[in-house]
Order: sequence, then C-alpha cells, then structure tokens
Amino acid sequence: MSVSVRGRKASVSAVRVVVSLLIALAAIFPIYWMLITAIRPSSQLLSPQLALFPDGSATLEGFIGLFTQNPALTWLANSTLITLGSTVLSTVISVFAGYSLSRFGGRGQQVMGLTLLMSRMLPGSLLVIPLYVVFLNLGLVNNLFALVIINTAFIVPFTTWMLKAFFDGIPREIEEAAFVDGAGLFRTLWTIILPLSGPGIAAAVTYAAVLAWADFLFARTLLTNQAVWPVTQGIASFMGDYRTAWNEIMALGVVSIVPMILLFLATERFLVSSLTAGAVKG
Amino acid sequence: MTLGRRRTIFGYALLAPAIVFVGVLIAYPLVLSLQLSVTPGRFASLRSSEGGFSFEHYVTVLGSPETWASLLRTGIYVAGTVIPAFAIGLAVALLLREAFPGRRWLRTAILLPWAVPGVAASAVFLWMFDASFGVVNQILFHLGLISTPIAWYSSADTAMFGVIVPTAWKLFPFFAMILLAALQTIPQDLYEAARVDGAGRYQQFAHVTWPGVRGAAFTALIIASLGVYREFDFIFPLTRGGPNNATTTMAIAIYQEAFQFSNLGFAAALGIVSIAIAAVFVLIAGRDLRKV
Repeated sequence: MSVSVRGRKASVSAVRVVVSLLIALAAIFPIYWMLITAIRPSSQLLSPQLALFPDGSATLEGFIGLFTQNPALTWLANSTLITLGSTVLSTVISVFAGYSLSRFGGRGQQVMGLTLLMSRMLPGSLLVIPLYVVFLNLGLVNNLFALVIINTAFIVPFTTWMLKAFFDGIPREIEEAAFVDGAGLFRTLWTIILPLSGPGIAAAVTYAAVLAWADFLFARTLLTNQAVWPVTQGIASFMGDYRTAWNEIMALGVVSIVPMILLFLATERFLVSSLTAGAVKG
Repeated sequence: MTLGRRRTIFGYALLAPAIVFVGVLIAYPLVLSLQLSVTPGRFASLRSSEGGFSFEHYVTVLGSPETWASLLRTGIYVAGTVIPAFAIGLAVALLLREAFPGRRWLRTAILLPWAVPGVAASAVFLWMFDASFGVVNQILFHLGLISTPIAWYSSADTAMFGVIVPTAWKLFPFFAMILLAALQTIPQDLYEAARVDGAGRYQQFAHVTWPGVRGAAFTALIIASLGVYREFDFIFPLTRGGPNNATTTMAIAIYQEAFQFSNLGFAAALGIVSIAIAAVFVLIAGRDLRKV
C-alpha cells in the first residue's frame, strides 16, 4: 500500500511540474519572442514561414538601427531620470507616512485606506485633463520634473500602505527600549527601525520603479516633445509606424524590460511577502 | 512640551508630505474635473472663469447610447481579463506552494510579466498577433486550425480578445504573488486534521485552502478589477479604441473626448460618471465580500 501511495504522490508532483512548466512557457514566450525578433535580420522578418528558434543569421542589426536612427538612448536616459526621481521621492515619503500610520495612526489610518481605494478608482485619463491644464499654466509641460511629481503622487498611496503593513510587523518593544535609552523620535526611526526594514523598503522601491518606468499615460500627455520622451512613449510611437522595422521595435522592447527584470530578480523574494502583507490587511 | 504632544506632532509631520502630494496632484485635479463637468459649453475650459453652472454634460453623457456601449465593453474587458488572470494566478500559487527541484526558477519565470511595462507588452503582442507575419497566426496555420490569417487587431470581432490577452498576461502574476503569500499563512496542522477526518484533495481545498485565502483573494480581485477598469497602456497603443470603437472602454473614451475632440466638459462628466460606477461596484463587492 505504501508503494501505491508513494506512486500516486510521485505522479501528482510530476503533473505539478509539467503544468508549472507550461504556464512558465506561456509567461516567458512573449519575452522570448521579443528577444528572438530583435536579433533577426530584417530580411527574415516579413516571412510567412514559422520559425520558432533563431538560426545562424542572428544579428545585432535591429539594435544598431535602433540606436543610430532613433533617439533611443535619450529615451532610456529620460526614463531613468523619471524613474530614479519618482522612486527616491515616493519611497522617502511613504517610509515616513507608513511609519506614522503604523505607530501614531488614529483616524489617519482610515483616511489613508480610503485614499488608496479612491486613487485606484480614479481613472488616470480623467485626472490627466486638469493636470495637463495646470502644468501648462505652470510652464511644466515637456518637463521631466512634472513626471517625477505626478508619478510620485500616484505611487505613494500604495507604497505607504505596503510599508505600514511592514512596520506593523516590527514589535513596538524595540522602539520603547530606544526611548528608555534617551533616543529621540526621529533618531529612533532612523537608527532602529530603518535598519530592520530592508525587505519592506526593497519591495516598495521595486513597486515604485516598475510603476514609474511603465508610465505611458502621463508621459504621452505631458511630454509632447520627442527629446523628453521616456522609452514607453518611444515604443508606442513605433507601433503602427511602418517605417520602423520590427527587429528595431523589439530591440527597444528588450532594452526597456532589462532594467525592470534585473530589479525584479534582485528583489523578488521580498515582493511576495510584502505585497501580500498590505493586500491581506488592506 | 509633553512627550505625548510631541509624538502627535511628529506623527502628523511624517504624514504631511504624503498628504500634500496626494492632495495637490490627485484630490485637486479631481475637484477641477468636477468643476469642468458642470461648466456649460462645447469648449468648456478651466481658464474661462465666467463659466456658469449646468448639468448639460451629464445629460449628454447619460443620454448617449455610446456611453452605455462603452460601459458594456469595459465590463467585458475587466471580466475577460480578471477572471482568467485570477484562475491562472490561483493555479500557479497552488502549484508552486510545495517544494520541488527548480521551483525557485520556475516561480521567477512565471512572475516575470509583472515587471514588463504595459506598452512593451503591447508592442510584442501586436507583433505576435500580426495578421500576415505574426507567430500566432503562423502556429494556428501550422496546426491546421485556420486556413486564412486572422486580422486580430483590425477586425472588430477579435480586437477585444487581442487587448485582453496582453492585459491578462501582465496581471496574472499579481494574483499569483498575493495568493502564494496567503497560502503560506495557512497552518499545516489544518491539512493534517482534514486528512485525519478523511478529506480528499477537493474537500481539503474547499474547507481549508479556500477559506484561508478568501480574504486576500477578494481584496486582490477588487484592486485588480479597479486597475483594469481604468487601464490605458494596452488598448491605447494597440487599437486607440478601434476598430469602429470595438475596444473603446470608458478610460479610453474619456481620453479621446478630451485630447482628440477637445470636448473637455463631456470628458470630465464621463470621468465622474465612471468613478461613480466604480464606487457602486466597490460598495456591492465590499458587501458581498463580508457575506462570502
């Protein structure tokens, strides 16, 4: 009997591995296809033949065309500036706000919870209308700084909530011991809490960077000049433009996802726990 | 100053920057949108201070059949994206909860689409679903499932499917992550107790697993639905809402009315109506959440 039970268990876990592999294949295929297309010579792109694997003709032609005939480097630099700015700003703001809600929160907590839900309900395509008018009047259209502060405002409600849930998991006794030793409130946050918050901050940083890097709506509306576009707006401008070959478009796709994938690989193990802490309690 | 008072001030001081940002860049534009939506005239503008007050844009929005058609399309887009993404996310979470060789790599691979920008995902799906040279038609043709190529994004019958697929592809890892972590909070003893009572795999799922993840699952469903409801990054670059409005959801309609037709008052009223609909959805879903 024990043999048959073990046999069934082994077959169940074989099914588990196979189904997981199939889902992983579906998850990875578009990324794979992006890469495969990017290294294909343009002469082979417009062929009705199914070719799932690269052959000996793999070339960097797409990347060379992308960087020599388009301001792709500028777009990448713009995305980097917007993302760095929004990530740093939103993380600092939401560490403060999350800590405040976790330790000093009364009514503020409910307000913040409501704000999170509200900000999820508000269509960006509505808010961008008055934002466009306001930034036009301020002379901030085509200004990367405008994108930094708008992205920050839309990231902060979520990361604040994530970090609040994370700080809730740190026992208060640790701070009380610091108070007894005479440390001030800010000093306690800076020297006691922050060093313990690496995983929570890593998750918040990843979330913020993924959102800011992916922003298309605000960039498309507030950045009309090609010289200040981020990479998302560059990709969108290629779609449906028959002058740009698919290997160049996919090459831009590849360079646009590499930084996010590296960040994701570095922080993935913190994401699952931190994202959930916020969602389960939210 | 007492410590208690200092603590209160410190608490509010830490919260202040977040409130300023959200207030100035989310709440204030919302107020301006409301103002815009009740400013009469075809070319209502935030700069004309004389303005006036009228519900005419709301009358036009609510009386237009296109509003209700776009609401229906939004419902199809949200349900068509969220339901399969949730089902796959749940399957992934259940498959990956137990250790097996290579699980860590598989998990990373499966969660990867979450990090891909929506526009980049749209670009590769536009290419994969290309009518003449796309790999999807080539595979279908190769398998003998089609004899003539399908024009996925330029046919009104298939365009909605074409925008749902990349949206769901990017969304399902979100569910997988939430559910994976929720599964980790279920004590193993519960499963052992269920097995002792003779519960099979399905009974274990129904009586132990599902009750353990239900709360997280519903919260994630609401958050994800609201996210897809206002999604812009897939439909706009892929189809601009076309062909023939077949993929014009409310979020896309608001943008087109404002930035393509300069119909700001109408766009603002449509936006406020779409927020009201989302609020009703959250209230109903919140009530059902407590019941389940």
